[in-house]
Amino acid sequence: MQMESTELIWLDEQHEISMTELIELSGFTQEELLHLLEIGALSANNSTETDFLPSELRFSSHCLISIRTLSRLKSDFELEQNALGLMLVFLERIRLLELQVQGLESAK
Amino acid sequence: MKFKDYYEVLGVARSATIDEIKKAYRKLAHQYHPDVSKDPAGEAKFKEVGEAYATLKDAEKRAAYDELGRHPAGEEFKPPPNWAGNQGGQEYSFDETDFADLFAGFTKGRQNSQQQGRNRPIPGQDYELATNITLEDAYAGITVDLNFIVPEHDQQGQIKRVPHNIKARIPMGVTNGQKMLLRGKGGKGFHGGPDGNLYLNISFSPHKLFRVVDHDLFIDLPLTPWEAALGATVEVPTLAGAVHLKVPARTSGGQKLRISKRGMPKNNLADKTEHGDLFAVTQIVSPTTLSEKERELLQALAISSTFNPRTHFN
Repeated sequence: MQMESTELIWLDEQHEISMTELIELSGFTQEELLHLLEIGALSANNSTETDFLPSELRFSSHCLISIRTLSRLKSDFELEQNALGLMLVFLERIRLLELQVQGLESAK
Repeated sequence: MKFKDYYEVLGVARSATIDEIKKAYRKLAHQYHPDVSKDPAGEAKFKEVGEAYATLKDAEKRAAYDELGRHPAGEEFKPPPNWAGNQGGQEYSFDETDFADLFAGFTKGRQNSQQQGRNRPIPGQDYELATNITLEDAYAGITVDLNFIVPEHDQQGQIKRVPHNIKARIPMGVTNGQKMLLRGKGGKGFHGGPDGNLYLNISFSPHKLFRVVDHDLFIDLPLTPWEAALGATVEVPTLAGAVHLKVPARTSGGQKLRISKRGMPKNNLADKTEHGDLFAVTQIVSPTTLSEKERELLQALAISSTFNPRTHFN
């Protein structure tokens, strides 16, 4: 068996990924991701800049956690496009609440 | 390989319509989907349900499955030689094939024949692994060995279970629950398709002294009643060695005393190392036994003290 060695990429608020990487890693198309951006369910770090091309958008890498869950749910439950934005908002809210609960329990 | 009764898994009759199969799948998916269910066995159950649905919802796969005939679930099983003829005419040994892979292989064979040698690139599958590290390892960084077995297509398109061993360096500054990505370390792509990715979920083993919240650490600090009342300097362990902490006079139980920059490192941008804080949570502990002298002193204190911690009851 061959031993491989590799470095890890952080999925957190500090590290960024490009639109191309998000498409590749999430399984969503650019059109679907732009729809999520348009309705405010997803935010890009540089979306407030003017005159940017969709391909130039950059995202915090932590968004991949909820986006991948969304992608699984979309595929496994055959979800419709309109439900995805709402679900992403709830997934992110649940993720943050779980972190908050974990923090409160540990700090007791 | 062991036979799986996909109809039994979904709880439907062999004559079920596609709508009945879909309905049964959706019900079970709501019950067991790992992103929805809190059932620890849910993930394994959902995998089985998903596998059954992926086969039975596809008319051609279902026909191939039905062709295998009826067998008791769990029975040792090998597809008949002529069944391989469905797979684009390739000769399959099935020796290292799992039942779950059988129909993925079937699809591969069908795709190959349909494409008439066009060899469409197929991306490798993504996988998720969980690894548990100690707080000390998270503090200093650690290289972990990740061992896992994944199905991969060989040169002939047949699926084999291939063991992988990857060394991954988890840098200092990782947090409990942190997710990381190892690009290209998932399943192998086929016909020039990109390799899949490996997602690593990192969690910390419970520590005997410290609790961790993000980059901050918490430790219970037991104090005697007289240390709490009079103040004291006490030794407190940290992950970088013990420090002396000045406990102020009139400290109550449950107070959090901050020891600056003695928490977990935040060095995830690699330019400079910052640390979270360590919080010592005070606990006032009475002695379990008292000497005669101690008893006398405490009785004298009880007589002369006017302190009442229950004034708010009145």
